[in-house]
Amino acid sequence: MTPLITLDRIGKQYGANTALHDVNFSIYPGEFVALVGMSGGGKSTILRLIAGLEAASAGNLSYAGGQAPVTRVMFQNDRLLPWMTAIQNVSFHARDADTQSRAKQTLAAVGLAAFANQYPNQLSGGQKQRLALARALMAQPELLLLDEPLGALDALTRRNMQDFIRQIVAEQHLTTLLITHDVEEAARMADRIIVIKNGSNVYEATGAKDGTAAQVATVAQDVLQVILQPSGQAV
Amino acid sequence: MENATVLPQSKQQPHQLNWHRLLPWLIPVALVGAWQFAVSAGWLDQQLIPSPLAVVQDGVALWQTGELPKNIAISLFRATVGFAIGGSIGFVLGLLNGLSKVARGLTDTTIQMLRNIPHLSLIPLVIIMLGIGESAKISLVSVGVMFPIYINTYSGIRNIDPELLEMGRTYGLTRRQLFSKIVFPGALPTILVGVRYALGVMWTTLIVAETISSNSGIGYMASNAQEFMDMATVLLCIVIYALLGKLSDIIAKTLESLCLDWQTKGGARA
Ligand SMILES: Nc1ncnc2c1ncn2[C@@H]1O[C@H](COP(=O)(O)OP(=O)(O)OP(=O)(O)O)[C@@H](O)[C@H]1O
Ligand SMILES: [Mg+2]
Repeated sequence: MTPLITLDRIGKQYGANTALHDVNFSIYPGEFVALVGMSGGGKSTILRLIAGLEAASAGNLSYAGGQAPVTRVMFQNDRLLPWMTAIQNVSFHARDADTQSRAKQTLAAVGLAAFANQYPNQLSGGQKQRLALARALMAQPELLLLDEPLGALDALTRRNMQDFIRQIVAEQHLTTLLITHDVEEAARMADRIIVIKNGSNVYEATGAKDGTAAQVATVAQDVLQVILQPSGQAV
Repeated sequence: MENATVLPQSKQQPHQLNWHRLLPWLIPVALVGAWQFAVSAGWLDQQLIPSPLAVVQDGVALWQTGELPKNIAISLFRATVGFAIGGSIGFVLGLLNGLSKVARGLTDTTIQMLRNIPHLSLIPLVIIMLGIGESAKISLVSVGVMFPIYINTYSGIRNIDPELLEMGRTYGLTRRQLFSKIVFPGALPTILVGVRYALGVMWTTLIVAETISSNSGIGYMASNAQEFMDMATVLLCIVIYALLGKLSDIIAKTLESLCLDWQTKGGARA
């Protein structure tokens, strides 16, 4: 299978500060990849490069067919427009005729049908994140990029949202890149886990997506150990 | 803006709602009552401080001669035209400088310099240049109104959350859509603060301008009455200013609740 997207010796400098050096990995169509690692390791920078929000300073970012896939990003903060209702927030960018009915469907899909005319500040934290997800899904993306989308949620809501995202991603056959600092979340949700450390990818593990709690815990433990190893000794 | 702290109406009991409606009028009514009482009881010299009733009677008399409606109309005319001209200029300049780096580089320093000149200090200049006609007063109001609108439009636009703009770009919004869907609605609360402030400046400027140099308007009525030691009319003019000020406040509040219902719904500020 040809990868949807390939990062080849990618580097990124911010002035004298090296955020990324020598990042190499591919994402295959339909795959769910998780990026994990310590804070400041470069995860968000990788996502911003893939999303086209910034340009790499070195290396090569290539797409299947030479053209960037339709990509949607869901950030840690929901970035909803406070002056628009839920339904306006999911349809604000689209101009096609069937937008309204699709917006309703999408809201229903994330369980917010009853909240279509509420403003973001009338929604709970979890509802806002679901709305942000609905907005990303409205564009029918090929590639969904999630940067710590559940970081601000309580443990229970977080678990619900994890299942929810997995279900939607499976239904719509989305290729997904999830950034998280929670190794268990990565183990539970991803096909493949990539550890980012000091600006490069240092380790890969297979996720325990449909595994038992024990299998999830084993994978999480394994990945956590790599993250916590002193730098320089990485695999 | 104050509305934001008030509980959502659905959570209030009906009788509490009525009570809250009456509350703001309690102090004005009590003050007028005390004033009337003090005059009736002879504690205050009627020649110096006429009673509220005398002021009202004076108002009715002046209304019947047609002098009061004529002067209110001319003052309202000056205020509205001055606000429209100054507000438009301030708004357009604020938009231009908020959105364009070139425009900002060209004009911002000049505007900041001019802004620090108190606009009332321009009165002698304006009288020499434009006399005491309508254009003099209207231009003074325009200058006074222009800066608060300019500054608030400008800073409203400059302080838009860059993350929201980035989000808009990732969704492929054109520059025009970015403006209409993100920049303008995001700047609107700040712009309306400017409008509210400018409405206050509008009245102050007009009062001063009309008091100093005019032969019509409420300010003229007051200074004219002062020459004849006509205290009732002087007080009447002050009351009219208070009412006009309240009217601007109602206009500002109505604008805010129409344009910013997303802020007040749900109680919390975004
Ligand atoms: N705009 C920027 N300008 C300068 N340095 C930056 C910028 N963005 C990121 N960096 C630097 O790049 C490095 C990687 O940052 P990045 O945000 O990718 O980390 P992260 O792995 O996402 O961390 P976290 O888990 O805390 O979100 C950090 O050292 C950071 O200081
Ligand atoms: Mg990050």
